[in-house]
Amino acid sequence: MLSIRHLGHRYPGAAADALTDVTLHAARGQVLGLLGPNGAGKTTLISHLTGGLAVQRGEVLVDGLPLAQVRAAQPTRIAVAPQELAFYPMLTVAQNLACFAGAAGLAGAQRAARMQACIATAQMERHVHARADQLSGGLKRRLNLAIALLPQPELIVFDEPTVGVDPQTRAFVLDAIQRLARDGAAVIYTSHYMDEIEAIADRVLIIDHGRVLRDGALSELLAEGATLLTVSASGLSPAALHELLGRYGSIEAGAAADLASGHTVRLRLTAATTPVGVLQALQAAGAVVQHADFGRCNLEQLFMALTQRPLRD
Amino acid sequence: MLYALIRKELLALRRDLHGLAALFLMPLLFIVVMSLALQDVYNPPLRSMRHAFDIREPSALAQEFSGLWQQGHGAALPLPADWQAQLRAGELKYVIVIDAGFANLMAQARGPVQPQIHLLAEPGIDGNLFNSLRAELEATAGPQKARVALQAMGALIEPGATLAKLVTAERYASGGPRPSSVQQNVSAWLVFGMFFVIAALSNLFVEERRCGALARLRSLGVPHSVLLASKALPYMGVNLLQAVLMLMVGAWLMPLLGGDALSLQGVQWPALVLVIGAISAAAVSLALMLSCLLRTQAQAAAVGPVLNVLLAAIGGIMVPTFVMPGFMQKLAALSPMNWGLEALLAVLLRGGGLANAAPHVLRLLAFATLMLVVAWLLFRRNAR
Repeated sequence: MLSIRHLGHRYPGAAADALTDVTLHAARGQVLGLLGPNGAGKTTLISHLTGGLAVQRGEVLVDGLPLAQVRAAQPTRIAVAPQELAFYPMLTVAQNLACFAGAAGLAGAQRAARMQACIATAQMERHVHARADQLSGGLKRRLNLAIALLPQPELIVFDEPTVGVDPQTRAFVLDAIQRLARDGAAVIYTSHYMDEIEAIADRVLIIDHGRVLRDGALSELLAEGATLLTVSASGLSPAALHELLGRYGSIEAGAAADLASGHTVRLRLTAATTPVGVLQALQAAGAVVQHADFGRCNLEQLFMALTQRPLRD
Repeated sequence: MLYALIRKELLALRRDLHGLAALFLMPLLFIVVMSLALQDVYNPPLRSMRHAFDIREPSALAQEFSGLWQQGHGAALPLPADWQAQLRAGELKYVIVIDAGFANLMAQARGPVQPQIHLLAEPGIDGNLFNSLRAELEATAGPQKARVALQAMGALIEPGATLAKLVTAERYASGGPRPSSVQQNVSAWLVFGMFFVIAALSNLFVEERRCGALARLRSLGVPHSVLLASKALPYMGVNLLQAVLMLMVGAWLMPLLGGDALSLQGVQWPALVLVIGAISAAAVSLALMLSCLLRTQAQAAAVGPVLNVLLAAIGGIMVPTFVMPGFMQKLAALSPMNWGLEALLAVLLRGGGLANAAPHVLRLLAFATLMLVVAWLLFRRNAR
C-alpha cells in the first residue's frame, strides 16, 4: 500500500540530513514496527505521511500514486495516532469525536455511525459524556486511538501509543491495533518498547541517523541470533580473547553493557564452526568460560547492537 | 467541517471561564465604573465646592458681586479665621478676595488697571477646574463692570442685568444622539473590550497547537483557510454580543445607577453595525496574527493583555487624544483602537452615517486584511 523509496530530508538551516535514505514498504493487513533511537528520523518520516513535510528527495507512493496527490484527493486515507494526547481537554469525549469527525468531512448518519463504532472499539461507552481532561491516563490514550480511527484510514501510524499506560490498557491497545491490521489496514507502529514490537509486528524497520539499518520480517531478524555466540571469559586479556575468537567467526560490534569490559564477546560463527569447538579452544588457551549463550537474540539485543550504546539527544 | 470546528471553538470558549470573564465582565465593569467616575469631567461640580469670600470693602457692589457668584456656585461659607490654613489643607476649595476700592474702580469709565478680585484656590485643584473658575470670575465681573460704568455715564440699565443672556453654549448634535460622557465612555470601552479577544483567542490557539490537536486537524486535510475561519467567526460573534451587551448597559443600566443614559436616538444603525463589524475584523485578525506568532501560553498570557492596554493607552481609550503631546497624537493616529474609537464616536456621539464613518472603517478593514495575510503566512510556515 505504502511505498517509500530513498526518502531524504534536511530541515532549513540544519547541518545534516534528518533523513538520508529511507526505503520501506507497508502492506495492507500487516503491522510494520518502526524502531529507532531518539533523533533517528522517525518523527520526520511520520511528518511526511501526515502532510506536515513535503517530499524533498526520493518518493512516497500510496498504491502507486504520489502521496501529495493522494492526500489532496483523500487526506483521511492516512491517519496518525500521535504520541501527544491531541484532543480538546475541555470538551467531552463525544464532543471531541464530533469535532474531529466533522473535520474529517463526516456528516449526518455516517458521522454518528463512525463515532459509535470508534467508541465501541475504544470501549468508551460509559465515558462519552465525560470531559476529556477528567479521564484517566488510560482512557485518554483510548480516546486518542478512537479519534484516529474515525475516518477509517487505510494506513494508520501509531506513534508510541502506549506511553504511560497500565498493563491492561497496553494489552487492550495492542490488541486493537492487531485487529485493525487483521481487518485490512496497513499499520506502522513506533515504540521504544521492544516487547510490544515483538508482540504485534509482522515486519520491522530499524532506522538511525536517517538511514535504514535493518528491514525484514520479524521472524527473520530474530533468526539472526541462530548463529550468534555470546561468551564471557576470564583468564585472557580482552585483546587476546578477541584475537582468539576472531579465528572462528566475525566479532560483532556492539555497545551493550556486557561488552564494555572486553571480557564478553559476541561472535557470529562461520558455517564450519560449532559453539562447542569455540569453547574447547578457549579452554585450551587457558581461559575460564563464565557464561555462554548461543542461538538466541531478542529484538532489544539486535536494536542495541545496531544502534550502539551512547545516549541520544 | 467548518461547522464542527466552530462548534468546538464555542464549546471551548464557554468552558474557559476566565476568558469569558475577560471578554464580557471587564469591559462591562470599565463602562460602569469609568462612566460614573468620569461623569463630571465635562460638567465640573462647581455648585458643591466649599468656598468663601473675603470682602475687604463694605460696598453694595461687592455684596452684589458675591450674590451673583453664589447664584451659580452655591452658598459661600462664612470666612473662617484660619481660612489660609484651610485653603492650604484643601478643606476650602477656593476663596475670592475683593480688595478695597472695588466699587470705585468698577464705576470708572475705563478698563481695569490693577486686579481687584483675587481667586485663591487650594494647591491640589484640577487645572481645568481652576481655569474654569477664573474664566467664570471674569465672566461675572465683566458685565457688572460694564453695567456700573454705563450707569455712571447716565445709561439706563436695570440692576442684575447680565451679558450672559447674549450667549448660549451647548455641544452641537443636531438630529443625532444627545452628547454626554456616557456616549464617549461606551464607545471607548466597547473598543477596548472587543480587542480583549486577543488574549482569549491566542491562549486557546497556543494550547491547541501545544497538544497536537491542530496538527491532527491539518493531517485530516482541513485547509488552512478553514482552520483560520473557524477561529475568526466565533470570536466575531463574541464581539457582536459584547457590543449588544455594552450598548444595553449604557442605555438601561447606567440610568439605574444614577448615571447618564446612553442615547441611541438618531443613531444611524447601518453605520453602527458596519463600524462594529470593522472593529471586530481588526481585533480578531490581530488576535489571529498574534496566535500564529506566539509559541507558548506564557507568551500569550503576557502579550495579549499588555498589548491591549498599550493600544488602548495610545489609541485614546484611556486618555483623550486631544490632551496628549503632539508626538503622541501622531502615534494615536496609527493605532487601530483609535480608528475604532473615532468611528464609533462619529456614529454614537456625532450622529454621523456611513460616509462619516467610512474613512475609519476603511483603515480598520485594511488593517484586518493585512493582519489576516500575515496570519495566513505564519500559519502556513508553522505547518511546515
